[in-house]
Order: sequence, then C-alpha cells, then structure tokens
Amino acid sequence: MSETPILWIVTLAAAALTLWRSRRYIAALAQAPGASRFDQPWRRLEGVAIAVGLHRKMLRKPLSGILHALIFVSFFVLFTVTIEAFGSRLFPGFSLTPIGGDSWIALLQDLFAVLMLLGLGLAVYQRYALKPARFRGSSGSDAAIIYVLILLIVSSLLIEAGARIVGGADGSWRPVGSLVADLLRALDLAAHPTERIAYWIHIGAILAFLVYIPGSKHRHMFLAAPNIYFRNLEPAGTAPAVPSERENPGVTSLGQFDWKQQLDLLSCTECGRCQAVCPAYASGLPLSPKMLITDMRDALANDASGPLVGGIIAEETLWACTTCRACMEACPVEIEHLPKIIDMRRHLVDEGHVSPMLQDALTNLTRLGNSMGKPSKMRARWTKELGFPVKDARSEPVDVLWFVGDYASYDPRVQDVTRKVAELFTAAGVDFGILFDAERNSGNDVRRAGEEGLFETLAQSNIDAIRECSFNRIVTTDPHSLNALKNDYRHFGAEFEVLHYTALLAELIAAGKLDITAAGGALVTYHDPCYLGRYNGGFDAPRDLIKAAGYTLHDMPRCRENSFCCGAGGGRIWQGDDGVKERPSENRIREALSLGVDMFVVACPKDKVMYTAATDALGVAGQLKVVDVAELISLREAPAAETDDRVEGCAING
Amino acid sequence: MKILVVLRMIPDSAGELELTSDGRGIDREWLDFQLNDFDDHALEEAILLKEASGATVVAVAIGEGSNRVLQMAVARGADEAIALEAEGDGMIDSRAIAGSIVALARSKAADLLLCGVQSTEDLFGQLVPYAGALLGWPHVSGSSRVGIEASALRVTQERGGGIAATYEIALPAVIGVQTASKAPRYVSGSKLREASKTAIGKAPSEPAGFERSAEIVALRLPGQRGSGENLGDNPENVADRLASILAAKGFAGV
Repeated sequence: MSETPILWIVTLAAAALTLWRSRRYIAALAQAPGASRFDQPWRRLEGVAIAVGLHRKMLRKPLSGILHALIFVSFFVLFTVTIEAFGSRLFPGFSLTPIGGDSWIALLQDLFAVLMLLGLGLAVYQRYALKPARFRGSSGSDAAIIYVLILLIVSSLLIEAGARIVGGADGSWRPVGSLVADLLRALDLAAHPTERIAYWIHIGAILAFLVYIPGSKHRHMFLAAPNIYFRNLEPAGTAPAVPSERENPGVTSLGQFDWKQQLDLLSCTECGRCQAVCPAYASGLPLSPKMLITDMRDALANDASGPLVGGIIAEETLWACTTCRACMEACPVEIEHLPKIIDMRRHLVDEGHVSPMLQDALTNLTRLGNSMGKPSKMRARWTKELGFPVKDARSEPVDVLWFVGDYASYDPRVQDVTRKVAELFTAAGVDFGILFDAERNSGNDVRRAGEEGLFETLAQSNIDAIRECSFNRIVTTDPHSLNALKNDYRHFGAEFEVLHYTALLAELIAAGKLDITAAGGALVTYHDPCYLGRYNGGFDAPRDLIKAAGYTLHDMPRCRENSFCCGAGGGRIWQGDDGVKERPSENRIREALSLGVDMFVVACPKDKVMYTAATDALGVAGQLKVVDVAELISLREAPAAETDDRVEGCAING
Repeated sequence: MKILVVLRMIPDSAGELELTSDGRGIDREWLDFQLNDFDDHALEEAILLKEASGATVVAVAIGEGSNRVLQMAVARGADEAIALEAEGDGMIDSRAIAGSIVALARSKAADLLLCGVQSTEDLFGQLVPYAGALLGWPHVSGSSRVGIEASALRVTQERGGGIAATYEIALPAVIGVQTASKAPRYVSGSKLREASKTAIGKAPSEPAGFERSAEIVALRLPGQRGSGENLGDNPENVADRLASILAAKGFAGV
C-alpha cells in the first residue's frame, strides 16, 4: 500500500482524536459568559509581539528565558521539516526544494535541530539538576513526556536526513546531517529502510505530540498568544465590576467565569513564576497562584462535580491572598489570578462566610466608615496637635483636597507622619483642605476582600462628599486610597485627578517650593508599596524624595515591579495570622537587614504599621528604623522651630 | 410560630460621652448609636429559629438609627420591620418601653418575645421580667441556646461556675438572650443595599401603666485614672526603672 493513504488516515485520525480530547474546553469556552476584549487590536498585537516575539517577561529568568527562546525559535524553523514531511506524502509532488528546501532551508534546519537539542538539554538540566522551587506542584510527568517527544522528533529528523545522505543525497548544506550519515555508515545501517523508519518515527512522534497536547500544559503553544492578545487593557488598579447579568455578586461555578477567565486556566504553563513571587505562598499559607489556576483547570478538564468555592478551591486559599498583584506581573502569558480570587471571595462574603476578625472590620466599616471602629468625629483628631488649622474643604474652596485615609488618620503610629506631611504642605504654600468626618474608608481593600456592596456604599459616600467640594486635585496619603479613587471610582463616573503625597512632594521640591537641609548621604533602602508601584507606576517620586532629602538609596533585590508585599493588602490586615510560618513583613525586613542599611523607608501608612511591628517582632528595631519618606525631609527653616524638633524626636522613636 | 425581637440603639461606647447641662443625662447630640450587642444575638437566635422551624420574625427597633438596623435585620432574614416611636431622645428605659413592646407582641399575635438580656441602659436586665409580667408569660433570662421541640421551647441558661441549666418552657414566652446558639452572621453590603428598599412600619409609643416611681437626679462620668508610664525599650533602663518603682511602692526592698 502506498504511504499516502496511510498518512492521510493516521493524520485525520490524530486530528479527530485531538479535537475529541479538547471537546470539554471547546464546550466550556463556547458556553462562557462574554467578555469585551476585542478593542484596540494594534495595542493588543503589540503586547503579543513584545511578550512572545521578544520574550520580555520570559527573559526575567535568564536561563529559562534563553532555553525557551531556543526551543521556541527552533520550533518555527523545524516546522518546515514538518511541512515537508507531511506535504510530500499527503500531496505527492509537494516539495520545498524550489524555495531552497535543499539549500538554505536545509542548513537552517540542521543548525536549529542542534539548537533545539541544546534548549532541551538546558530544560532537562534546569528541571532535574537545578530543581527550582517554583516547579513544586507542577506536573513532572507532563514535562518528561514532552521532553521525550521532542527528542524523538528532532533525532528522527536528523537520522532521516543522514540516511538520505548515505543513500546518495547531497550533504553539502547539511553539516549535522553529514555527521549523522558518517555515524550511520559506521554502524553499517542500510540507507533506505533507516530513512523510512526514521520518517515514520518522526511522523508518529509529531502526531503523538498533537494528540497529547489537549491534556498537557503544552496547550500554551496554541493558547499563550491568544491569551496575551485578549489580556486586560484596563488600568491594573481597576477591579472588575460585577457583571450586570449576574444574579449574585460572586461566582459559584467555573461556568460563571467569562471566556477569558476560562481561557486563562487553559493557557497556564505551570512555570510557577507566580508561586515564586507570592507572599502568601512564601509565608506558608495554603495559596499558590499556580495551583489555584491548575486546580480550576483540572476541574474544568474533568468536569468535576462539587462546589467550586470551598471545594475545588478552599476558603483559606482565597483568604490568603494579599492582592499584591505580583503573580499577574510575573505571569508570562498574562493570566489574571486576582479577578478570579475576588469573584470567589464575593461569593463567600455574600454567604456571610467571613472570619470573625474580618466580620468585625467589615461591620465597623458598614457602621462607621472605618475598620477600627472609631467614631467618624475623631477622624480629624490628628489635626489638633498641629500648630495651625487645617481647612475644611467642605466649606471653602481649596487647590488640593487631601484624602487622608483610615490609618493615617486614626493610627497613633502613623499620625506623626500625617502631621509631618501637613507641615510640609504648609511650608510649601499648598492650599489644601480635608473632608473631616465626611471622609470614609476608600473601599479599596473592602472591594478586594469581595465586599462589593459595601464598597459601593463607601465609594458613593466619598464621591458625594468630594463632589460637594471645590478643588483642583486630590492627594492621598494611602496608596490604597489612591488606587480606589483613581481607578475604582471610575465605575461610578467619577474621574478625579488623584496623586500620591510622594508625587506632590516631589513636584514641590522640583519647583523649588521646599527648602530642604540635605542629610549626609546615609544609606537607606526603600520598600515599594504594591498599590503605589505595581498598581499605579509610582516608582520614581519616592526615590526622588529620598535623594532630595540627602540620602543614598540602596534598593533591595526585590524592588519596583518585583517588590515584595508587606502582607496587609486585600483585607489581609483584617485577618489573623493562623497558619503563617513567616510573616511577609518579617521576610521583607530580613531582606533589608542583609543590605546593611540603617533605615527602611516606606511610603504607605500600612507599611509603617506592618514594618514597625515586624522590626519589633524580630528584635531589630534598634538596628533598622522604619521611617516614612516624609520623615526624611527636614526643612531648612521651618515655619515654627518646634516642628523640626518633633520630627527628629519622631525619627529617633520610630 | 411568630417571634418578636427587640433591637435597642445605644450610644457607641467608642465615642466620648458628655453629660447634659443638667447633669442628669448623656448629651446624645454628637453621639453615634449602635445596636445593643445582646439584641444582635437575640436577632440571630430569632433567625436561627426561623431557619430551623419556619417561624415568622418581626423586628422592632427603638432609638436613633433604627431604620438602618431594621434594614440589616431584614437582610439577615426578618420578615417584618417596625420602628417604635420613642418618647423624647433620652435613655431607653425598660420600664417605659415595656408597654409598647407588649402592645406590639399582642397586636402581632407573637408566640415568642426575644430581647437581649441587658443593655448599657438596662444593666440589670429589667425589660424581660417587665414584659413577661405585663403579658403574663413565663420568662427566662441569660439564654445561650434556644431550641424548639414540639410546641415547647428548650432554653439553656448560663449559671455561674460553668454550669448550664436547660429549661423546657411552654409558649408563649419571653426570653432574654445572652448569646445566640451561633455567633451573629455577617450580612453583605449587597444584601443590605437590597434590603434598603424594604418598607419599614411604625408603631406608636404605648404607656406601660406603671406609676412613676423613681428618677435620675445625677449622672457621673468615670473618673480619670492615672496614666501608664512607658519604660522604653532598653532592657537595662527598664529593669532599673522597674526596680525603683517597685521599691517606691513598697513591693521590694532595694
């Protein structure tokens, strides 16, 4: 029997089998709720080109990036071999020879076969010798099967080319093929049978690969690029709203996730970069962003019965997340972990499944607008100890409306910093005012804890209060408030110009409005708050301030986009430490201690609280001072002499 | 079965209390009000009974912020919400409100009246005995579990020394709830927003028929106690300072 009909039969059979093995995914995606991810095609394509073409995120881990790039590029070159192998037999007469199949293409195939093997070797070395922790929980057998199939495909094509050369073909464009030919001659193997056996091994391995893919993480060969293309183009800080067609705020089954959320599950490559950067995972809590995705993916693949929330995904897993967004930042295929976690938390909250501590905080927020349970009338109490009155923005127009936030207003550990910021604003002649008892918690973390209804209530209350005021810009102390006001309040049609106090201070210094005595260049390190840096790109203003104040910045290894969360975000600050082996804040302080700096500079009220507690717990408060960036700035001639004294005293105590 | 549950609004203890100019009341103008914690448990027990045996729950609230709390009660599962008009805006006096509560229990044909065992304005838990006496119903205070079996209630009451007594009581009855069988549930913001559309009924104040017997002549704020001293974080200084304080107070010789 001729080879053509046999190849047609096995190819079609393999294709059918592949489709059959993909049936559940296809059905799931076809039935999933809609998501609007079709706008801005050029921007989307540009992202794909950078992520796939340039391997930008992949190369953040150089070895993985390079080995993947080798395999990836070699795959495209060697695809010409596949085209030729199938084309020549499926359509007799088909050949790449007219466009160089026997010359330059042959040379490229030869060289990239070797590069593919090199990439494969590095992958094997990485997985079995280096054993990075991020692979913990990834399927080892899946990777091994793929390695064997790639090895079979590449070695069979080299043997086939070698056998052809032994049979009299021209080997001048195939240096590697010629070496294999020499080997075959030495082994005294007959040319034609060897070529045919190698050909069918090649075909068999490729079809096996195809059939295998639907059940393997290697789906990403087909799905990574679309998943990146359909990525979220909204600002990182806008949490997805509850779709209007949804009956309840949360999600109780995989089928309620829109098609992009489900495509995410299928695109995961199990690379574990998310797991490696996750503060919850590092602290020993039962959350790995990778396993979160693969557990849901496996449930989707197996049509698993049983509940999603509290079944496939444990409640403790969902509550462990700090919403720091490090996982999404690290993911090379743009998987969106947080929208899924928030949607599942929304279900838990709607059902009243919250821990007692979180319940207290949310009840306080419902009743009083702050998590501490303090009366609203005490919100502006910190202004009493200032040497000057603060304008009430509700009753007189101001240039800058200062949204102070809960921790900066109420927490005695932070109030000194808040007063220092007020003094700096005043010294620079900023016309500012606050909302006094009309301010409520911004709702940033309420929303991310899954309490959408309460978030709406808080947001609406703040928006109403803000709209009553006459102002030009809003400045916030807390990066969390910054994020909510800037990004989340857009859902209510409120578009304010919002900036962080570090941005305003940097602007004032650049404009020469603050007269600063520079310190002597002492070494400090700086912690990027998640909601200022990763979420809103505020990396440089705090660094500019540190420099302007006369300090030398020594960044920690994990800085800027790769900053390591303090552990307080997304409502974690209202949860207990049960199951935590090492608090993220203490992990971070250890990182800073290894640098040999004296000060740990922060730009978030929660960080001041978290890291002060961490240095106390580690007994290193005398060694490493936690100071807010505002506390570093000392005015040359303060309007009142006692201002400077208090600041210095504060720095000593802090 | 129909359950009437009483929700009293009390001054938020985190606020700063100030006396009125005549020194006989608390200045309520600048205070935040919150639901009495024991009443929160009474509400929870009512909802748990409803879930276990299909009762109807009528929530009646008294004091500033009643509407907000009644919406919360509806969001948690109450079937009807009634704001009771209060006389004046002073303290919620159990002797004074008992008549209104009893009138409501009769007009709503309630079989069970649940109240918190006490409130900051009724520390001695008088509402339950007053209501029980006026209605002529049996009453038990200090429950930590209320269950229903056949047509009788089984009520567990906490006693001292870790002892708990369980009563069987015929309905109708009045129970003063100390803790619900389960901690009060969390009700989400979306359910609260949904419940904010519920119509809230009103009930007039009814006299209890008690003769005037006593009235407050003076209230006093807690006295200012001595403040603490921070001994710092230098172990040697702390030890020295501690030793000298102990010596000065006569606890240790030097």
